[in-house]
Parts: sequence; C-alpha cells; structure tokens
Amino acid sequence: MAQVSLQQIRKSYDGQHDVLAGIDLDIQDGEFVVLVGPSGCGKSTLLRMLCGLEEISGGEMQIANQRVNDLPPAERGIAMVFQSYALYPHMTVYKNMAFGLKVAGADKAEIARRIRHAAAILKIDHLLERLPRELSGGQRQRVAIGRAIVREPKLFLFDEPLSNLDAALRVQTRLEIAKLHRELKATIVYVTHDQVEAMTLGDKIVVMHDGRIQQAGTPLELYQCPANLFVAGFIGSPKMNLLDGVVAEAGGEGVSISLTGGKTVHAAVDGSGLSVGERVTLGIRAEHWQAGEQGSERFCGTVNLVEHLGEANLLYLTLEGGQDVVLRGDGNVEVTYDSQLSLSADASAFHVFDRDGQALRRLQPGNLKVARRAAALV
Amino acid sequence: MNRIARWQIAIFLAPALLIYASFSAWPLLDTLGLGFFNTDEAGQQHFAGLANYYKLLLDPQWSDGFWNAMGNNVEFFFIHMLVQNPIGLLLAALLSLKGVRFAKSYQTLLFLPTLLSVVIIGFIWQLILSPLWGVAESLLAQVGLAEHFQPWLGEEGSALLTLALISVWQFIGIPMMLIYAALIAIPEEVIEAARVEGASAWRIFWQIRLPLILPTLGLVTILTYVGNFNAFDLIYSVKGALAGPNYSTDILGTYFYRTFFGYQSQIGSPTMGAAVATLMFLVILAGVGVYFFAVQRRLQRHAF
Repeated sequence: MAQVSLQQIRKSYDGQHDVLAGIDLDIQDGEFVVLVGPSGCGKSTLLRMLCGLEEISGGEMQIANQRVNDLPPAERGIAMVFQSYALYPHMTVYKNMAFGLKVAGADKAEIARRIRHAAAILKIDHLLERLPRELSGGQRQRVAIGRAIVREPKLFLFDEPLSNLDAALRVQTRLEIAKLHRELKATIVYVTHDQVEAMTLGDKIVVMHDGRIQQAGTPLELYQCPANLFVAGFIGSPKMNLLDGVVAEAGGEGVSISLTGGKTVHAAVDGSGLSVGERVTLGIRAEHWQAGEQGSERFCGTVNLVEHLGEANLLYLTLEGGQDVVLRGDGNVEVTYDSQLSLSADASAFHVFDRDGQALRRLQPGNLKVARRAAALV
Repeated sequence: MNRIARWQIAIFLAPALLIYASFSAWPLLDTLGLGFFNTDEAGQQHFAGLANYYKLLLDPQWSDGFWNAMGNNVEFFFIHMLVQNPIGLLLAALLSLKGVRFAKSYQTLLFLPTLLSVVIIGFIWQLILSPLWGVAESLLAQVGLAEHFQPWLGEEGSALLTLALISVWQFIGIPMMLIYAALIAIPEEVIEAARVEGASAWRIFWQIRLPLILPTLGLVTILTYVGNFNAFDLIYSVKGALAGPNYSTDILGTYFYRTFFGYQSQIGSPTMGAAVATLMFLVILAGVGVYFFAVQRRLQRHAF
C-alpha cells in the first residue's frame, strides 16, 4: 500500500496545448480517490499517466515515494481495471487472472493460492474454468477486478468500471467496490463522470475541468462548500440553482444581494472582499429551499412542472423576478401546475460566487443539515 | 401480413438457382460423370467404369506424370505455407504497430502485385531472371554475389522453388491484408491490459494477439490450399504446358491442361481430362473438408 504524489503534472500531445495543466495532488495510503468531471476534462488521461500508458510531459509523479515518471507500468506496482474489462477472450477466467503472475514469474502454487483467495473475495470460484464470453457483464467486471487483486498492487486504478453495466447492477457493484476497498484497505484511484458514483465511493473527490483540478476534498466539503461555479453546478442533483444579482451591501458578516427583478436577499457569506454594485451569482440547492415561509429569505413563484420521485417532488418554478428555479419538496404534498407557491430559505443556505465564479467563504456551511431537518419536520 | 405461398418462394429463388445450376452445378456433375467414360478411335464415348482412374493412378504411362504433378503441387503448397503466410503475418504485425510512418503506402505497395495479371508477373520475372539479358545477375554483381547467380528458372532442381517464390511475391498481399484486418480488430484495451501486467511485446504477440487471430490464420491456410491446388496460370505463362525442364514444374493444373486439350504430340482426351479434374476436385474437397470438420470447429471466433 502506498501514497501517491503528483506535482505539476502536465500532459501535452503537440507541445503547445496542454491537456493537463499542472496537476498537484496527494493521495494518502488507503485512500479512495475519485477523479470526476465531464468528458474531455483530462481525468482518463491522468489515470493513464498514473498507469504508465501515457507519457508524462512534465512534472513529478511518485508512487510509494518512488519517482515513476519513466517506469513502465509493470514496475509501478499498480493494477488497472479497464472500462471494457479488457479480459483476454481466449483464456479462461483462471488463466486471465494467472497471466500477470506468470509474466512476473510467480510459481504455480503461489498463483493458485492468490487466485483462490481473490475468487473467494469476489465470489467467482465457480466461474474459474469459464471463458469471458460465457459470463454476464457483472461477472466479467468481477473477473477484471480479480485480475487486479491477484497482483497485490500498491495502487488500484479504475477507469469508469461501471459504465458498461445496467442501472441496477451498477448500484450493486458500486456497493461491492466500496466494501472491497474496506476489506483490502487498498489505495484506489477511480475515474468516473457520474457524480453520484463519485459522492458515494470517494474518500476524496477530485473535480476536474479543462485539464485543471477545480477542487479536491471530501464529498461533504464539495457539497457544502463548492469552490467555484463549475463545482457547484457539477456536484449535486438536480443542479444548484444559480441566480444573477449585484451586491447591495457587503461585509464580513454577510452580503445583501439585489437580484435581477428587484428582490434583495441576505446571504451568510464572508463578503469582505466585495464592493457594492459588483456582479455576483447567488446559488442555492434545490433541497435547501423550504416550501412555506419558515426561512428568513422569502420568495413567491409559479409552478411550471412537477417531477414525482416518490420520496420527494421536484418543483420547477418561475420566481416573481423571472428566474427559473427548482425546489425539492415533500413527495406527499400534491402540487398543481400554475399554482402560486411561497418558498423561503435561510441566509445560511446560500452560496455566493464572485465575478470570476469563485465562491465566497460560507459562514455556517454545516447549518444546512439542521435547516433540512427542520423543513422535513414541518 | 399476407402469407407467403410456396410458389412465390420458388419464383424468387428461380433466377439464382437457374444460373447456379446451369453454370456451376451442372458442369461439375457432367465432369464427374464424363470421367467414367472413354473415347474410342471413332470418337464415340463409352461407359468404362473406373478404367480412367485405374490408368491415372496405376498405369505407369499416366501415373508417373500424375504423381509427379501431385508431388510438385504439394511442394508448391508447402513453400507458400512456409514462406508466404509467415511473411504475410510478419508484415501485418509490423503494419499494425502504432506510429509506423507511411503504413498505408507500404500496404498499397505490397498489395500491388496481386492486382497485376499473372501473365505480366510471369513475363517480368522471366526477364529479370534471364541469364542472357536479365537484370538479376548484374544486380547480384553489384553486391559481389555474381558467382551465386544461376539460371534458376531453367534448372530442374530450382525451377519449382523459383516459380513458387514468384507466386509468393505476387500474392503476399492477401494473407497480409486478412491478418492485418484481424490484428487491428483486437481492442487496444486488451493489449494495454497485458502491458500493464508486464508482458513484453514479444509475449503479447505470441500469447495474446496470435491466439486471437487463429481463425484468420486458418482461413488463410485454406485459401492458400485451394489457390495452390488450382494453380495453373503462372506455370503456363513462364514454362508453357510442358512445365519444364523435364516436368520439374508440372503441377495438377498443367497436367490437366495437357491431358484435356493435348499438347504437341499428346492428343487431348476429354474423358481422361475429366478424370484428372475429378481427382483435383477430390483433393481440394478433402482439404476443405478436413479444415471445416477438424479445424474450424475447434477455433472460436472471439467477440470483443
């Protein structure tokens, strides 16, 4: 097991345009790190560079305190699980798992022992003599993971391993990967474009966009204090509501923002760096609205559309100011289209982003849970 | 939907069936049948049972030539298997490497001779290898190997090998293209997985790529077999129907030609020719049968 350190890692295919522009990242021993971002953000490239399948254009990469920039994949102590599983089609499951060990020159008894051990963990003992094409998607996935486990690597790399599975199997396999991480106490770097996967699996989530790390932190940090507009929009479902406005009053204790359409809202963020009249973006998550007038900041809107999720409703509203917002409401409450609805939120529920899209420090980020519970009780 | 009547099926099948029957099935059956007849001096054909086959296989006047042609044909086939297909595999493997510059141009160049007429190929190589005005001798002299030059096409010991190598030179593009197509169909991630596990390029080739293209290698083998046992044109264009010197390049195709059409003093015999053609058909049928029942069943096509 090992920690990983990336310093100013760069990747460029033509020497001019950076696909990755200076990635700094530290991964602790035993940590489950999820690289997440939209397609083309460079997350897969970064994983392939960790793996040794892509050359590193600049910077320093260390795995277990050893510089690995120029080491071939096999000498880095890593194992990779590919998106398509990449099982050897002509080999049985057993031979698939044995291949890497044979290459490394392990003796037969040791190979058999490791495969039995991994097969038992993954519950694929009964499949060992089958060929990959005789397996279901989920079983192939397990074999691919098994092939990684038997090599007892310092670092596991997963490249979107769930994207070829159907929805039900995806949730199940996700849980199994989380369980596996706890059992093996392995260091894992996992790439996905699915923020739910990222939130549920990761000890640490690294949000990437345009070849840069936008924010790295625990799932809760990213959820409560997104560092910029991109992260705010990317993490959370449905997307955070974003409303344009200008600063009416600013200070260390809070900011008053006058929204387009005339309404003024108070947000509990550190606004000491703002000046009056500056353009800002106000953000609030759908689940932090409260139906009714319990919150300090009150709005009124017209219901355009309702999505029934069962435990909750997603209400799509147009506020008096003309902005479209989405609210996550109690699933048991019937809401009719075109009805007027009053909604509110506490000042602590708001996020504020400056002109450049950078978030201002929230004063009571943890308050949200309380606010949410209160909403549920009412 | 309306039910399809049987007569409708028959009508739609009829054109293809008619063409296939009259131009392929009937001539084949007629040939097989003709082999059981012989021709008397008056030109009348009489049923003769297996007499033609008896003559061909056991009467020294016929069988010496037939077994010579058969032996040469087997040699011709083995030279292709040992030279053409391994080189085709090697070229395909090289072309499928990443970052080979001008890979497409090489492909086209290597495939070009296949597109040329066999007669042209035969003629060109005859000119190149001619001991009188051929360019081969002077080219060898350039690199100091002049004393190794021989009139290869004219010597009994080397004529068949030379012709086989000319044929290899011409048709190398076909196995190369088939194997290349199979190689690039292997998903990149499978190869990468092997690389990550530490396998060398050599090992990846022998243990991952080669097993995955075995079905194609089987196909190439059977195509070579059928092509070689049907071969005729190159030998005929270089050596004529006598397949000299002293029948050393005689293969089943040229033997059949002389038997059927006659050549110089030999009088052509349609019935004996039909018997030779039937034996050629059986040889090829046996080879294809072995391939289908013994080989192809065991090879599995891999879906990626």
